[in-house]
Amino acid sequence: MNKENTMVLSVLAVNHPGVLLRVAGLFSRRGFNIDSIVACRTENPAFSRLTLVVEGDEATFTQLIRQLLKLEDIVKVRAMETDNCSNSELLLVKVEAAGPSRGGVLKAAQTYGARVLDIGDATVTIEMTGQTDEMDHFIEHMEQFGVREMARTGITALERGDEAILDEE
Amino acid sequence: MRMNGSDILVECLLEQGTDTVFGYPGGAVLNIYDALYKYSDRIQHVLTAHEQGASHAADGYARATGRVGVCIATSGPGATNLVTGIATAYMDSIPMVAITGNVSVPLLGRDSFQEVDITGITMPVTKHNFIVKDVRELADTVRQAFVIARSGRPGPVLIDIPKDVTAAECEYEPLAAEGPRPVAPPKEERLLMALDKLAFCKKPLIYFGGGVISSGGEQELLRLAEKQDIPVCASMMGLGGFPPEHRLWLGMVGMHGTLAANRAAKDCDLLLVCGARFSDRVACSRTGFAPNAQVIHIDIDHAEFDKNVPAAVRLAGDLKEVLGLLADRAPQVQRTAWAEETAARRREKAPLPREDDTPPDPLAILQALHRLVPEDTVVATDVGQHQMWVAQHFPFRQPRTLLTSGGLGTMGYGLGAAVGAQFGCPGRRVVLVTGDGSFHMNLNELTTLVSYNLPIVVLVMNNRVLGMVRQWQKVFYGRRFSATDPHRKTDLVRLAEAFGCTGMRIRGAGEIDMVLEAALQADGPVVVDCRISPDVNVLPMIPPGGTVEDLMEEMD
Repeated sequence: MNKENTMVLSVLAVNHPGVLLRVAGLFSRRGFNIDSIVACRTENPAFSRLTLVVEGDEATFTQLIRQLLKLEDIVKVRAMETDNCSNSELLLVKVEAAGPSRGGVLKAAQTYGARVLDIGDATVTIEMTGQTDEMDHFIEHMEQFGVREMARTGITALERGDEAILDEE
Repeated sequence: MRMNGSDILVECLLEQGTDTVFGYPGGAVLNIYDALYKYSDRIQHVLTAHEQGASHAADGYARATGRVGVCIATSGPGATNLVTGIATAYMDSIPMVAITGNVSVPLLGRDSFQEVDITGITMPVTKHNFIVKDVRELADTVRQAFVIARSGRPGPVLIDIPKDVTAAECEYEPLAAEGPRPVAPPKEERLLMALDKLAFCKKPLIYFGGGVISSGGEQELLRLAEKQDIPVCASMMGLGGFPPEHRLWLGMVGMHGTLAANRAAKDCDLLLVCGARFSDRVACSRTGFAPNAQVIHIDIDHAEFDKNVPAAVRLAGDLKEVLGLLADRAPQVQRTAWAEETAARRREKAPLPREDDTPPDPLAILQALHRLVPEDTVVATDVGQHQMWVAQHFPFRQPRTLLTSGGLGTMGYGLGAAVGAQFGCPGRRVVLVTGDGSFHMNLNELTTLVSYNLPIVVLVMNNRVLGMVRQWQKVFYGRRFSATDPHRKTDLVRLAEAFGCTGMRIRGAGEIDMVLEAALQADGPVVVDCRISPDVNVLPMIPPGGTVEDLMEEMD
């Protein structure tokens, strides 16, 4: 996750319908690549927060932030390095666990601090939150049993320390 | 006061000082048109032939006057017909408010008759857009739309209003119009950096664009250029922002710019960029344009910095203010050798019309036009060869006198724009210079000239071919003239007469003055069919991706 060419953007937006579309549209027409985008409500119902992971170089990031700030509905944009923010994503994965492998799957889930949500006849569904690279390792580990399907959210992040996005810099 | 949405809309337009709106009625805007009927003594509605014409008229009105242009269309096709005009305004940063009707809220999203998601469609070509689903939000939305259109870098804003919202009632409280949002002055250390760069450079060049016109900073620009003795060139959007006979003026820069301007860009060691954006029609090669120069970039839009060409100093702010600060604080200097060297090149290369030509030379027609019309004449153009001839050869002495689609390059823009300009500047002469290709796209708008008896003179540079594309085919496609020779048989004089305009024709050089004088004296709209040769090229030309080293001064 700490790749040189990725950046986490925390974007505070006015909670209008279509904000996500405006941001996604901007990225697509300007040719910026989005790894993931998460939109959610915030402590203040007037605002929503988007967390984006984007790929590019320094010049792309600068241009992208300036373009984002031109959108009427965007209140604030904060660029963060993955190592100075608290960031996390959620994974749901349905793993093949028929017969003897079931014990191995459950043990691995425990080791990784994941939670078992559902046990079927032939599968186990596991929920895990954590940083992207932990998640990647876990999925890799589960692949030996067989991953039937999975869903993950992409990361959400907040800056470390006491500061909030609307605080004056 | 309790009112319905349509009355509230018109009241809010009046709050903003809107005296003219351009539009076309339809089912979803019937209530709005009923309000326009009621308010017809306070706000003029101009009916165009097509919604596209209305959008270009709102744009032309805004360019010529500096005020926000307003256009109205019905839902569905009415709304989509505005899109080209909105995109044209967006690319050239023209303040506009477009109002569309939509189907009633309960019918939205059901593929109802004449329903279209116009906010979705126009998202990439507006500064912002709204759909108003509650009449109580209408007034503030309209007010906000005007603030957005005018603030910072201006641009178009669209408001979509479902039909039931135009009928629903609520309380309306009048409110005085809000001005544009304040723009922060540039940071002191940046100003000092810019002044420092100016002090240590040897060969500076000013390249300015539409931002100077938009901010009204022409006087400050002139003051800075003269005080610092800096040669000046402009993008097409900047024309009219600097006196064309000035000793420091090098002309337009870029693909069809002057040799003097493009050579100066190549040679300069400091480029002062004022409200311009290094479009690919100016910096044909982003790396080959001004390759030896450090860039000081002044713009109101932060996103323009480093977008196409990196800047050493970024000065964010209103052009008029920033240029004024620089002009106040920069010392008087003389750069006689550099200024002389660059300007001399312009004088050497000044083109002359061919004399006694049959067919007539477009250059001679434009020079005659310039002789015959007052200095504040508004010239609208369409897009193509004629547009470049106007930009190259018609000396614009005042800002807001050239209306042309620079960014989007919209053929069919000119006639609507001329209509808008004539309503915005009723006492002034408005001329459209177009080509037969562009003219054929939206000539239906002649109806508007006739309906309102607008004394607009339309000069059609009629070479019977799609000249600009044909010129590219000549140079880059081995003379394979694919789809550029349409074999049309339109008789423009009879066409004009059929619409109720006066039709005239220039067949040879000898007729130019006589016909133009008659056209300018005529009562009401005139179309002049200028039968120019299909083989006149726009020169000089720098091929796309090229630099001044690749500049072509001849063709064929």
